Amino acid sequence: MRRLKGTGGAAPRELVADELVERCKQGDEGAWRELVEATYRDVYTLCLRVLGDPDDAVEATQDAYLKAYRGLRGFRGEAMFSTWLYRVATNAAISKHRARTRRRSREAGPGDEVLEQIPARGSVEAAAGAKVEMDRLQEALQALPPLYREAVVLRDVYGLGIEELAKRLEISETAAKVRVHRGRKKLKEMLFSEDEDAV
Amino acid sequence: MRCEEIQTMLPAFADEKPVQLGVRRHLARCADCRAELDRYEALAGGLAALATTTAEPPAALLPALVDIPARRTRIEEARSHVARNRKRYLGGLAGAIAVAGAAVALRSRRVAAA
Repeated sequence: MRRLKGTGGAAPRELVADELVERCKQGDEGAWRELVEATYRDVYTLCLRVLGDPDDAVEATQDAYLKAYRGLRGFRGEAMFSTWLYRVATNAAISKHRARTRRRSREAGPGDEVLEQIPARGSVEAAAGAKVEMDRLQEALQALPPLYREAVVLRDVYGLGIEELAKRLEISETAAKVRVHRGRKKLKEMLFSEDEDAV
Repeated sequence: MRCEEIQTMLPAFADEKPVQLGVRRHLARCADCRAELDRYEALAGGLAALATTTAEPPAALLPALVDIPARRTRIEEARSHVARNRKRYLGGLAGAIAVAGAAVALRSRRVAAA
């Protein structure tokens, strides 16, 4: 259940069997527990990456599951359940982000707590040799302005298409592309400025 | 094409590879722009790799999520209880307001008399 609606990303892995979803629809609380246990780490991680704050991520995860529970009867299996749940979670995280933006005028910096929460070790190297250390990437992502982080996380980590991203963020496709491109540029600057200075 | 023009396009190349002949020619002969493109490709690879890791949620989250159906049932029961007993609750509320009003009136009469 890593990718939402990929444009070149890997197909989402289904973690929830249709039969389990059907049992949840019938009101089987044991099935609901199984469904939550199979999915909540991924959903919480998505919310944490979009929001950058563990408390907000917990609230967004709870909102997402509450909405999923209410909307379960309307789920007809046209998409994979995991994809549907991720969509609900993305919307919950975006709503939380909007509410937080309204609530907080000041922008808090990234907390160490967040950085420690998502394990990301090792590095990724491009064909021509540029290398990204995963822990530094995580730090840079958390330090990115929330507007750009939200767009980059949904597009580049979870593989949302530009059209879908624009729809979720309620902005034009051009605006969505601009946010993603500016976010990538800022990340690149944060990650490679030291290397460039050294050259 | 100049390096400045090419480099404004590079963040988009993670989505679609350059097709313009001028861009491809520039990249073929400019080591700086190729290095910059390489950095964006490493970044794209790193971001995609993040999807394979998950955070450990707080311990209290799982029980709260598992409890959602039971919580919904409790809320629905409370709502239907209130709906069933609406007249009784409204009567009680009206009575409480009347008693409070009488107490205030009595007190102000006593204060005036004193």
